[in-house]
Amino acid sequence: MLTYILKRILIFIPTILIISLITFGISTNAPGDPVEQMLAGGGNNTGQSASLLASEKAYLELRKKLGLDLPIFYFSFSNSATPDTIHRIPKRLHRQNLSRLVYDYGNWDKIEGYYKSIRQLELAAYDVPKDDQNATALIKIKDAVNALYMNHKTNLIDKNFNIIDERLGDSPSLAVVRPIYENVKSNYQTMVDKSTTWKNYIPSLKFYGTENQYHRWFFGDKPWFRDADPSTYTGAGFIRGDFGISYQDQRPVGSVIWDAVKITMMISFISIIITYMIAIPIGVFSARRKGSVADQTITTILFVLYSLPSFWLATLAIVFLCGGDYLDIFPPYGLGEWSESNSLFQNIKTRAYHLILPLILWTYGSFTYLSRQMRGGMLSVLGQDYIRTARAKGLPEDKVIWKHTMRNSMLPVITLFASVFPLMISGAIVLEIIFSIPGMGKVAFEAIVARNYPIVFSVMMFSCMLTLVGYLVSDILYAVVDPRISYSGGKK
Amino acid sequence: MSNNNQREQINELDQSYWAYVKRQFKKNKRAMFSLYVVGFLMIIAVFADFIANEKPLVAKYQGKTIFPIFKSYAVGLGVSKWPKELQNVKWSTLDYDYAVFPPIPYTPQNMDYANTEVGPFGDQEVKSARWRHLLGTDELGRDVASGMIHATRIAFSVGIISMSIATLIGVLMGSLAGFFGDTRLRMSRIRFILNIIFFFFGIFYAFSSRSYAFSDAAAISNVSLLGQILISFLIFLLIMGLANLIAIPLKKVPFLGKRMSVPMDLTISRIIEVFVSVPRLFLIISIVAIIRNPSLAIVMVIIGFTSWMGIARLIRGELLRVRSLEYIEAAQALGFSDTRALLRHAIPNALSPVLIAIAFGIAGAILIEAFLSFIGIGVPAETVTWGSLLNVARSYTRLWWLAVFPGFAIFLTITFFNLIGEGLTDALDPKLKK
Repeated sequence: MLTYILKRILIFIPTILIISLITFGISTNAPGDPVEQMLAGGGNNTGQSASLLASEKAYLELRKKLGLDLPIFYFSFSNSATPDTIHRIPKRLHRQNLSRLVYDYGNWDKIEGYYKSIRQLELAAYDVPKDDQNATALIKIKDAVNALYMNHKTNLIDKNFNIIDERLGDSPSLAVVRPIYENVKSNYQTMVDKSTTWKNYIPSLKFYGTENQYHRWFFGDKPWFRDADPSTYTGAGFIRGDFGISYQDQRPVGSVIWDAVKITMMISFISIIITYMIAIPIGVFSARRKGSVADQTITTILFVLYSLPSFWLATLAIVFLCGGDYLDIFPPYGLGEWSESNSLFQNIKTRAYHLILPLILWTYGSFTYLSRQMRGGMLSVLGQDYIRTARAKGLPEDKVIWKHTMRNSMLPVITLFASVFPLMISGAIVLEIIFSIPGMGKVAFEAIVARNYPIVFSVMMFSCMLTLVGYLVSDILYAVVDPRISYSGGKK
Repeated sequence: MSNNNQREQINELDQSYWAYVKRQFKKNKRAMFSLYVVGFLMIIAVFADFIANEKPLVAKYQGKTIFPIFKSYAVGLGVSKWPKELQNVKWSTLDYDYAVFPPIPYTPQNMDYANTEVGPFGDQEVKSARWRHLLGTDELGRDVASGMIHATRIAFSVGIISMSIATLIGVLMGSLAGFFGDTRLRMSRIRFILNIIFFFFGIFYAFSSRSYAFSDAAAISNVSLLGQILISFLIFLLIMGLANLIAIPLKKVPFLGKRMSVPMDLTISRIIEVFVSVPRLFLIISIVAIIRNPSLAIVMVIIGFTSWMGIARLIRGELLRVRSLEYIEAAQALGFSDTRALLRHAIPNALSPVLIAIAFGIAGAILIEAFLSFIGIGVPAETVTWGSLLNVARSYTRLWWLAVFPGFAIFLTITFFNLIGEGLTDALDPKLKK
C-alpha cells in the first residue's frame, strides 16, 4: 500500500509539470499587455519626446520587474529568421507586427533598421514645438507613425507614408522631420527589396538557460538552500510558495487566494454536511420502498432536480425572490457586512440570511447526485445473497438495513467525498459569479477577465493539485473500506 | 469457404446484439419519448429559418413571386444576389400582393422599438394578433420566441459537433492505448527516433511556419481557412511518411535496427490523467476569455478537446478486457488475425458504453455553452442563445419571461438527453437483463 501511494505521488510530479506548462502556455498566448494594463492612466503620449521616453522607461522598468522581458521558456523551436532578441521589444503590438514582418520578409537586420528608424521619426515628431500652423499636421503624423508600428501590409504602409508626405508640407517647422522620414522610407525599401523569406523555413533551436519567464514563475530565481539578499532576486517561485503579485491591486497572490478560499471552503463545508445529512436517509428510504409510489415520486423529483442547471435556478431566484419586481425575501448578492460594532449573534444572523439562498443552490445538485448513488448502491446490495441470509436467520429488518446493507452501500458514497472538493471549485464559479460572493470562483473568473495571470496560474495549479489529491484519497479510501481491493498487485 | 461462413455467423450475432439493445431501449417509454422530443427539437434546429424569420416564406411582390428565405440561402452560398429592390428592405412593411409569413414573423436580431420589454401577456402595439410577440421581447425589442428557436440550432450544433470531436479523439486515443498496450507496438529504434524528430519538423513546417497563412485565410472566409488547415495536415502526413521511408534503409544497421516496444498505453494514460486533473470549466473559461474574436466554432472545438477522456478510457478498458475474452481467442483460432478480431469485434462492442457517454456528453456540452453565454463570454455579443437571454434577465429582473423560457429550454434539452443516456444505460447493461 505504502509503495503504491509513493508511486502515485511520484507520478504527480510529471503531471503537475505538464499542467504548469499548459497554464503557462495559455497566458503567454493571450492578447493584451499586462504591463500596459498596470500603467493604464499613468503615461500619456501627448508631451515632448522626453515624456514619451519617460513613459517608455516606466514601461520597460515595470516589465523588467515582472520578468516579462525574459525569454518565455528554456528553449525555443522556431525559424532562423526570427531573432532571439525579439522578446526584448517593448510593447506587445509592436512585437506582433515585427514577427509578422519577419514572416513576410525574413531579413531581421533590415526589419530592425526599419523599426528603429520609425522610432527616430516618432521622437523627432515629438520634439517639434507645437504651434497653430502644425498642430493638426503633428497629430496626423503621430497617428500615421503609430499605424506604421502596427501594420505589415504594403498598401496600408504606403497609405500612411502618403499621409506623412502630405502633412510634412503643412508647415516649415516640420522640415526637420523630413530627412528622418526619408530614412524610414529608404529603410522600408531595402527591407522589401532584400527579403530573405527562405529563412522562415529553416528551423532553429535556441537555448536560453534558466533565465526565462517560466523558470522564474515556477522555480523562482532565489538561490536554493541558502539565504540571499532580497534585492538580488525577484521571487522564490511557485513551488516554494511564492505565488507572485496580483497585477490589479499589487497584493501577494497567496493572500488574495487565501481570503477567497476561506469563504468558498466555509460554504462548501456546510453544503457537504447538509448534502450527506439529506442524501443518505432519502436514498435508504427510497431503496427500501423500491417501486412504491413514494419511491417513484422521489426518483422523479431527484432526476428533475439533477437536470436543473443551477445558473437557471439562481437566475429565477434572483428575479422572483430577491426584491426585483416580485417577492423580496432574500438579498440578491454579497455575504452581508461583518462589522465589529454589531454583536457576534447579529453578525452571524446577517451572514446566515445572505447564505440561505446560495447554500440551497449549492447543495441541491450534489445532494440529488448522492441520493441517486445511495439508492443505486442500496438496491444492488439488497439483491446480494448475504442479505437474504441475514433475513433468513431472523434478523430484524431494521438491523438488516442499517447494519448490513447500509455499511456496504456506503462505500462508494464515502469515497465520493474525496472528489467532491475539486468539483466544488467549478460549482463555485457559477454561483459565486451570480451572487457576487467573493470566493475562489469569483476571484478566478475576475482574474481571467482582467488577465491577472499570477492569480489565474495559481488557482489553476491549486485546483489541479486538489483534483489529483482527491483522486488519490478516494482510491486509498476504497482500499481502506473494502479489503477486497488491493493495489499491491504484482506481489506473489 | 468455412471462413466465409464463420464471418457471416459473427455478423449475424453482431446484428442481433444491436437488435437486442434496440428492443430493450424501445421498452423504456421514458427514453423513447425523450428520443422523439429530441428529434422534434432537432427538426426545429434544422428548420429554424423557416419557423422564425422576418422574411416571408413565399410572397408576390411587384408582380413577381419570390421565396425570400430560400433566396437568402442561395445568397449565403454565393450563387445568387438580391435584386436591387430587395436590398436592405424592411421585410415586414413591404407592399406585397400577398405574402405567407413563417409562424414567428421575426428574426432574432429584429428590434421592435414600439414593443421593448413587453411580456407575453401584456399589451403589445402590433398590427394584429398574428404579429404578437408570443414570448415577449427583451430590452431592445427583440422577439424572445424567435431568439429561442434560433438558439435551438446553436445549442444542438454545439452539443453534436463538440461531442463528435470528443468521440473522434477519444476513440482514436483509446484504441491506440488499448490496442497496442505497452508491449505490442514494436518498431526499430531508428524508426522510433526518426518519428519523434520528424514529428517536431512536421509541426514546424505544417503549422508553426504557416501560422500567418491561417490567420490570413481566416480573414477571407471559413472555407479558405479549412483549405489551409487541410494543406497543413497533408504536409504533416508527408513529413511523417518521409520519416518512415528514411527508416527503411537505416534499419539495416544492427544497433539502429534493434527492435523496441513503445509504451503506448502508459503514454496515453498519462495524457488522460493530465487532462482529467485540469478543472474543465475553469480551463474552458480561461481559453475562451482570452480569444480575441469569440466564435461558436472555437467554443465547440474547446469543449470537444476537453471532453474526450471518458470515451478514451471506455474504449481502452474495453479493448484490454476483450483481448482476454474467449471469443477473441476463438476468432484467432479460426484464423482471423489479432488486428482484425479486435477492430471488427472489440471496438463495436466498446461503442455501446461510448454511446451512453455521448448522450450525457451532449447534455454537458449544451450546458457549458449555455453557461458561457450566460456569463457573457464565448459567443459573439450579437448572437442570441438561451444563455445570453438568461443573462439579460439578470440585469432586467422585471422581465420574468427572459428568465423562465430560455432556462426552461436548456433544462428540457439536457433532461431529455440525460433520459436517453439513462435509457441506453439500462438497455445495454446485461445485469438488468431479467
